[in-house]
Amino acid sequence: MKFAFWSTLLMLCLVAALGASCNRASYGAHDKSKIRVGIVFDIGGKDDRSFNASAWAGVSCAETGKWPDGTDCGKPALNIVARDIEPGNPTSIEPAMRAFAERGYDLIIGVGFAQTPIMELVAKDYPNIRFAIVDGDSALPNVALLKFKEHEGSYLVGMLAAKANKTGTIGFLGGMDIGLIHRFGTGYEEGARAVKPDIRVIKNYVGVTDAAWNNPGKGKELALAQISKGADVIFTAAGNSGLGAFDAVEQAGKVDGRATHLVIGVDANQNMVKPGFVLTSMLKRVDNSVYSIIEDVVNGRFQAGLHVYGLDKDGVAYAMDEHNKPLITPEMLQQVEEARKKIMSGEIKVTDAMDKK
Amino acid sequence: MIFLRQLLFPLIAVIAAFIVGGILILIIGDNPIEAYRLLLGSALSWPDGIGYTLFYATPLIFTGLAVLVAFRCGLLNIGAEGQLYVAAFATAWVGISFANMTAWILLPLCFLAAILAGGVWGAIPGILKARFGSHEVINTIMLNFVAVALCSYFTQYHYKNPGPIMETTAIGGGAHIARLGRFVPGLPERIPVNVAFLLALLCCLLVYLFLWRTKWGYELRATGTNPTAAAYGGISIRKQIIIAMTISGSLAGMVGINEVLGYRYRYYDGFSDNYGFTGIAVALLGRNHPVGVVVAALLFAVLQRGGIHVDGFSEYVTKDIVQVLQGTIILFVAAEAFFSGSFNRFGLLKRAKV
Repeated sequence: MKFAFWSTLLMLCLVAALGASCNRASYGAHDKSKIRVGIVFDIGGKDDRSFNASAWAGVSCAETGKWPDGTDCGKPALNIVARDIEPGNPTSIEPAMRAFAERGYDLIIGVGFAQTPIMELVAKDYPNIRFAIVDGDSALPNVALLKFKEHEGSYLVGMLAAKANKTGTIGFLGGMDIGLIHRFGTGYEEGARAVKPDIRVIKNYVGVTDAAWNNPGKGKELALAQISKGADVIFTAAGNSGLGAFDAVEQAGKVDGRATHLVIGVDANQNMVKPGFVLTSMLKRVDNSVYSIIEDVVNGRFQAGLHVYGLDKDGVAYAMDEHNKPLITPEMLQQVEEARKKIMSGEIKVTDAMDKK
Repeated sequence: MIFLRQLLFPLIAVIAAFIVGGILILIIGDNPIEAYRLLLGSALSWPDGIGYTLFYATPLIFTGLAVLVAFRCGLLNIGAEGQLYVAAFATAWVGISFANMTAWILLPLCFLAAILAGGVWGAIPGILKARFGSHEVINTIMLNFVAVALCSYFTQYHYKNPGPIMETTAIGGGAHIARLGRFVPGLPERIPVNVAFLLALLCCLLVYLFLWRTKWGYELRATGTNPTAAAYGGISIRKQIIIAMTISGSLAGMVGINEVLGYRYRYYDGFSDNYGFTGIAVALLGRNHPVGVVVAALLFAVLQRGGIHVDGFSEYVTKDIVQVLQGTIILFVAAEAFFSGSFNRFGLLKRAKV
């Protein structure tokens, strides 16, 4: 009897709930009068508080004129429909991209170079759909490449790291051991050397596969190892794995209310992740690049090929806000600002590790 | 009648899972009807939906059959995942090493590589169990890690395609198998469902014939049902264990044919979306019968295909809903013994008793 009772109750609840839900407006994704944009995130997912989060912020800004947290993003909404998919594992990236393509979306954005070969496959099958890939390389006529001068931004945070450094050793925690991440590391090292020529830079990488972006445990281990070798500032360029380094510096603790070890965030502003422990964040303004490529599509000015975002186009920057203000003196700030102008004018040349030698 | 009774619980499990999933969708503030329409609609549309659903079903049929064969011998093969990785890599290795051979030689070699590699990887825990009595569940799980790591190692350090992606270089053109799009009008060739799907169906038939229509299959099933009685009847339990695990591994290994020869034409590190483990669920839902496995594999493929679309085009639902559905289905199937009491009370199953 019990079973009959419960199943009847369940059915009743369901019918009531369905009745209520039928009044909802149906999904707006099929509104074909608007430009439709689909974005496929990397394995890290859209809330990695880093690379993907930044891309998501750009899409959100273009769709609603607001950041994902609801504050104004300072740019107009573009009257688009935006949809996103978090594949979660490498095998779902292709179906995700095709899901948008099958529905005839106007622009499909892929986040991260790992999606490049997949995007090329899909872009060949759908020559009339425009694609954009962050950090990727492709020669197809319908794929735009959104790239950044990470070395320039890394140079500036390298200077800040050297300024904040006391032990003579700083650390760099990379995600995957590849050219793109070496670009961060080299710029960082050069910036640090520009302040302290004899500084020691320890570099470690989380791994050699995609999984390296999503392994905070290993990130923390490596950061703790660097701390034990004397590094007191650690720059992370490791996606989700970098968050492990944040835990590591927090674990190292505070003396007299000041953190003994600091971390530098990457891609998105990560200053608020562990306030007081984050010196600054090397911003890779994926949001700006994503917004501008969507704007191009809306205005009918889409161009395939290379789009490079450096210090000049607000493509890379270092983050300053109320969370890291106590850690950065006006003197540090002034010196970094000078370097920034010199890089933009070409007076300082930062080595790009991905340049062919 | 027996057939209907077999069908009853899986069906109830699926419906119940969809109801539970629907309630969950309601709670997160979305419309279950819209979400399910999106899920099924995207999976059953022609040609993309159906093409991809069949493509996703292919590896699940293979792994489902693999688990089934082992299960019929009283063994739990948790190692289909490792077996299919080793087999896929072996297939790619043959395809790369003998790339210049003609298709008539290369293709059978590649097929053989997939079947043999999977079979050997499956036989290891079988032999360990037969010889030393070590439990196959532990050994197959452990061999999964060994397999994944080995394949990664060889990909990274010996056969890697230059670039940031973990994949081997391409196999020879002679080793490609045809996509169904070439024969089926209206199905574009970009959809990767290929001859391996037909092979999977053929394997279902063969497994059925083997298990229920041959002496060897009888011996295998006898071992699974009652080892003591089987041994008394003169069947070598050890031999049966090794045979079952080898066949099981070979079936799992054929995933490599679908993946390497029919889809990517190379070994791609981490290609398996837990096919080996989903295979356990497929076999369970399919009641360890080849026909059931095909139906269950198709259902899980529908979920896999639809999940992405639900994620993309619904308001709040993510593709995790698929995991909820799969998990709930398994839960309900596993709870059969618990529920059958209630059903008996209603007289639902009374006549079905044999």
